[in-house]
Amino acid sequence: MTAFAPIRTAIRSPRGGVSAAVLVLVVACALFAPLVAPYAYDIQNLPGANTEPGAAHWMGTDEFGRDLMSRIIFGARTSLSVAVTAISISVAAGLTLGAMAGYFGGWFDRAVTAVVDLTWSFPEILIALILIAIIGPGLESTMVAISIAYLAQFTRLTRAQIMALKNETYVEATTNLGAGHFHIIFRHLLPNALTPVIVAGMLATGDAIILEATLGFFGLGAQPPTPSWGAMMSSGTAQIFIAPWIIIFPGLAIAITVISINLFGDALIEALDIRNRLRSV
Amino acid sequence: MRYISKTRLLASSMLVSASVFGLALAAEAQDATFVVSAQNVGTPSYNPINGTRLNDAITLIFDRMVIQDADQTFHGQLATAWESTADGMSWTFKLREGVTFHDGEPFNAETIVWWIPQFAETENAFMTAAIESVEVIDDLTVRFVMANPDPNLLSNMSSGFMSIPSPKAFDALGDDFGVTAAVGSGPFKLESFTVGQETVLSANEDYAWASDLSENQGAPHIKTLTFREISEDSTAFLELSTGGVDLLYSVPTDFLPRLESEASVQVGTMPGTGLFYIPINTTVEPFTDIKVREATAFAINQKEILDNLYGGVGSVANTFLIDSLLAANVDPALRISYDPERSNSILEDAGWIMGSDGVLEKDGAKLQVALWTQNGTEFKRVTEVVQAQLKAVGIGADITVFDSATINDQYRKGTDHQLAVRSYSWANADIIDWFFSGQRLGYPNVSMWNDPKAEEMNIAAMSGSRTWEERVANFTTYHEYVLSQYVFAPIYQPVQIYAYDKDAISVPEAIRGTRLQSQTVVDITVN
Repeated sequence: MTAFAPIRTAIRSPRGGVSAAVLVLVVACALFAPLVAPYAYDIQNLPGANTEPGAAHWMGTDEFGRDLMSRIIFGARTSLSVAVTAISISVAAGLTLGAMAGYFGGWFDRAVTAVVDLTWSFPEILIALILIAIIGPGLESTMVAISIAYLAQFTRLTRAQIMALKNETYVEATTNLGAGHFHIIFRHLLPNALTPVIVAGMLATGDAIILEATLGFFGLGAQPPTPSWGAMMSSGTAQIFIAPWIIIFPGLAIAITVISINLFGDALIEALDIRNRLRSV
Repeated sequence: MRYISKTRLLASSMLVSASVFGLALAAEAQDATFVVSAQNVGTPSYNPINGTRLNDAITLIFDRMVIQDADQTFHGQLATAWESTADGMSWTFKLREGVTFHDGEPFNAETIVWWIPQFAETENAFMTAAIESVEVIDDLTVRFVMANPDPNLLSNMSSGFMSIPSPKAFDALGDDFGVTAAVGSGPFKLESFTVGQETVLSANEDYAWASDLSENQGAPHIKTLTFREISEDSTAFLELSTGGVDLLYSVPTDFLPRLESEASVQVGTMPGTGLFYIPINTTVEPFTDIKVREATAFAINQKEILDNLYGGVGSVANTFLIDSLLAANVDPALRISYDPERSNSILEDAGWIMGSDGVLEKDGAKLQVALWTQNGTEFKRVTEVVQAQLKAVGIGADITVFDSATINDQYRKGTDHQLAVRSYSWANADIIDWFFSGQRLGYPNVSMWNDPKAEEMNIAAMSGSRTWEERVANFTTYHEYVLSQYVFAPIYQPVQIYAYDKDAISVPEAIRGTRLQSQTVVDITVN
């Protein structure tokens, strides 16, 4: 079985297929935004502010007369890049910390577990808000805040996997053959613990998009004129009675993207039979 | 022993219950909830002497010596009469009899003797700087001996910053005054105050010293008045339209059409006392170069902002003062009005070359600057338009949004900020001193401007004028010099718009004074 076989299986299921198609569309929009977007995202046309959706502007214009569809397309780039980068950092750090804690145990495990349990007991949004209050608002700060906010779950998941795997016969055999700790961790344990963490990472990406949008809504994420779905919704609240489309379309973009990620994640979990594997762990 | 029949007992109980319920309803019916202006959200204290920002409720808790009406005339509140000598070196005030503070302490000449020195070494010291000493003539008469003439004295005394606190409470509470408690002699007593959330006031039933600007000369009609702090205008609007609050102190102009279509909402306007502007930090590159400052100032299209963000309500700002002030009548050549060709030409002459990304470059450095603003729909919208207007002449601006309660601390902390979108509300030319005096670098002098020539003009304007006419002339000269140095870019002069639920409360048709303050609030009735 190749690494892509479970993805192919997931795509063959109805919900996996539909969600994958939507995700491909969103990612394509993000990657090729300058080619796909009908207008520049930052060119204001104040006399044309709050124009209703129509032939010239399919999703209408915002309070500065900017084409909303173009901003949503460019906003996909912001949301996806922040969420994917942040979760990638979080997964990498969580894998490393969790693997070390699970494998070595002792004081290091207790220290990591204590910190992870502490952060686990706070909502991600609270952790992110505290971190941004310290670092300052902006895209980079948002990435750092989200990656730290989600670090606990990947660390715990990896640690649990490693603790179960380290007593397997093949690990004992490798140890007896004289392999070093890092060889065992990175060549034998982590590859076997990776799949559930990757899938959890994918599902967390959906949550991270919502968190990025929430921070953007509070004005703490991407700063103007960089489009962010959350910030667009925030500015739309002031126009809700005059131009409701400013808040509706970015909201739909967030909802559709997150639902698609979750559906595809579910399909992938089934394809990989992760639930049964975790039960056996 | 008498026995009461069950029927009679039941009837009596019902009567008592109904009375209690009725009383409760009557009490509730006298309650009202107002929403403070968005720019006042997060005001940390009700200490008028030390405060640099004051909440809308300040004039309800404290009284002032005099109040200024919309026609610029002064009316006595705690002072009943006043006169100054011809040389302006002495002012005599007759004080109102029978005034007591909320803590029962009497108001008299000794209060004034204690009060004036409290301003020393505070941010508001300039207000009393011209007063050398206070002499007691009798229990209800004081004389100010002036160090220099101050034709602006009455104007200062009508400011909320010169509200008079109870000396006993002020001394007892120290730094907690205005935070945990605030004791004045105003028509309302402070019951509770939570920064950024709400202030609860109760009627001062002993109040009998309203100014002649108020029809009601007794206790206020509203018995419990809650001031809520809502930073988001749309949320405040929703609260008003759904009956959650009764009055909004400030309404953005883009809500006017919607508010006017609400059957229960009445909208009123008053002449503006405020101005939106961009302070330019003169100590940080590239704004150490006056040419870059000039180009920045002329890149702001005030008319576009007025027409498109404010629907033409209000007026453009071309100077640092609101148009109603005499010192705003400057040489037309010094007014700062949108002129992109001038901006382009200045920057080109200074050696800036347009880069491929639409941002100017010089010696490998981009003309990319930081543009600060504060939370709140209006500020963010103006700032985004300013960003686009600067970009149109090749100046890139990175926006950073700060919480409205903490942005002033940011200015105090660091001096590396460059541009910011700010506003003030003040109907006196001495606002130039406040924002550009070399004595207040960081905050409020966000421009970090410290110019010896300007300081000389400042002294002449603030303390070297003997008459009102001389003061106007000195401030006009000072104002013109500030304009010529491009230490800020003017944007917009708003009008004051308020809205209320006319089914819930009745507000006098004519608002007396320069703002919606105690003189009007005591006349508001609950329907």
